[in-house]
Amino acid sequence: METPWFAKRPVSAVRPGDHAWLAYSGAAERDAVIGPFVREGLQTNEKVVYVTDLPPESLPGLTPAPRPGVRAGDPADADSQADLRAGLAAYTRTGQLRVIARRDACLDRDGGFEPAMMLDTLSREVEAAFGQGFRAVRLTTDHSWVLNGPEAAGLPRMLGCEHRVGDAVSPSTMAMAICQVDRRACPRDQLVALRDTHEVLVEVNPEFDDGILKIVRTFEPNGLRVEGELDAARHAVFAEKLAQVSTARRRVHLDFSRLGFIDLGGLGLLAQHATRLHADEALVLDHLPPDVENVIEMVGWHRLPGLTRGGDGLPETEDVL
Amino acid sequence: MTLEHRAFLYDDHADFLSVTVPYLRSGLERGQAVVAVVREPNLSALREVFEPKGAAIAYFDSADFYRHPVRTLRDYQTIVAQSAPRSVCALAEPVWDGWDDRQTLEWIRYESLINVVFAGSGARALCPYDTGSLPPRVLDEARRTHPLLLCDGRTGGNDSYVDPATFGAKCDRGRRPARPCDAEYLAIDGHDLHALRSFVAERALTHGLARQPAQNLVTAANEVAANALQHGIPPMGLWVWRECADLVCEIGDNGFWRPSPLTGFIPPGSALQRGFGLWTVRLLVDLMELRAGWDGTFVRLRVRR
Repeated sequence: METPWFAKRPVSAVRPGDHAWLAYSGAAERDAVIGPFVREGLQTNEKVVYVTDLPPESLPGLTPAPRPGVRAGDPADADSQADLRAGLAAYTRTGQLRVIARRDACLDRDGGFEPAMMLDTLSREVEAAFGQGFRAVRLTTDHSWVLNGPEAAGLPRMLGCEHRVGDAVSPSTMAMAICQVDRRACPRDQLVALRDTHEVLVEVNPEFDDGILKIVRTFEPNGLRVEGELDAARHAVFAEKLAQVSTARRRVHLDFSRLGFIDLGGLGLLAQHATRLHADEALVLDHLPPDVENVIEMVGWHRLPGLTRGGDGLPETEDVL
Repeated sequence: MTLEHRAFLYDDHADFLSVTVPYLRSGLERGQAVVAVVREPNLSALREVFEPKGAAIAYFDSADFYRHPVRTLRDYQTIVAQSAPRSVCALAEPVWDGWDDRQTLEWIRYESLINVVFAGSGARALCPYDTGSLPPRVLDEARRTHPLLLCDGRTGGNDSYVDPATFGAKCDRGRRPARPCDAEYLAIDGHDLHALRSFVAERALTHGLARQPAQNLVTAANEVAANALQHGIPPMGLWVWRECADLVCEIGDNGFWRPSPLTGFIPPGSALQRGFGLWTVRLLVDLMELRAGWDGTFVRLRVRR
């Protein structure tokens, strides 16, 4: 595997100058990234520019509702549709939230995608933000519609647009952007070409990270990526996160590619969890490092009922699409 | 279904074949799964007898099969499990040369443990002992670890047989060498064993252990320390020292525990059963010694370079 030249960051670590790429597998993954991106911007005096035809209250992942002066997690941060609308209206009034329809942002008279116009829109919004007193600007849009559209020129236009957005954002001390694309919107080689016009890959915030163990939700396949060291001091939090991804009747995959250590109690915990799954489900261990696999083979897979050896190849994540 | 565990004290090659060939044949006739784990040149001799007839016998060279007593028990158990519903007929000749005193003791204990691990398996095991070449200690102990004895062409009961728990207790009674005073020490406090793992990994590396045994030692030490944190009484800590080619890790706590002499030797059915942890520790290191006394509980792990 070649060393990737891009940085991979959880959404909360995206910073000015980042031209970031999100190829999401479905609404759940998109919401888990874009929701915090928008919310955290609004809550920290940053301007949020979202090019979309959706109304503000339908933006991805905005529950609980962000409201001026209320940080996420506060008791006052009530979760209702009316609150969401009121809160977003307040941000819209002050110009902190700019939801711009595609027609106004990047479509030519015939309704075709016009990269130059998109660039103008973004530059205008970034320039205005400085005067408005915002300390940064968060830009995002979902490009899937361009790729899905009837125009054969969708991809080249997108590539051109992305290069220019990158040129505009990367040297900026104020602007950061996340370009979203539905993975299913175009073939793999096109996704790779688009991804390669970005320096930063954005992913969900980790579910847990104490510097020793990091747990990250994965969406395709459904499960968790477990990085670092899993030991008795961290069994409880791991069991909790594992239970959270095991609610729907879906196979759970654990990506162990970056797992440095798992204790014997941790193996027991996995087997314990597997006994509670339905008969047609299994807990799949993907990309087992040799050290971990050695311990499992030492005791024998049959002593870990319900656990299955998964894929061997490189993980199916962004950086090795 | 009871286990038939017989020691066979043989004089020479002809004597060996005169008993083992009919024994293996009887297993085939009874429809048992037949395995021959035998030293050379006996192994080749048996192959010459049975292979031309296409007999369904699985052959293993003892030199490969008998390297680590707890792993060997595990491997026999796998054979028994995979052969079910057929029972197993095993010709099982351990290796007795090349071990130091302590290792020899563990192999003797292994013979005794066979009686517990396979108690209900219906298996038959015939263990040949070469009276011409084996030291008297090994031959004497064979009488204590096998309920049946085949000697001078006759199988008989064996009055010297000692039950495995009593036998195991005797094995552990001997005094262990004290910890050297220059052993490195790391206190175990708090619940995070990350520092302990780094500590052990560094010493393993410095000692020159290969990557896999080093990592196995880290996993084993972590498990024993986690047990101490869960069940033990402070103060607790870890000592590390070298004894020639061995790296030794001892984890101690002040708790009072009376473990069975069979603790950690019996393969558990799954990771969900009690005892999985200590059994795996025994698999991961070359030797695990458990000592529980008035002054606390001490688990010593040993890995050879």
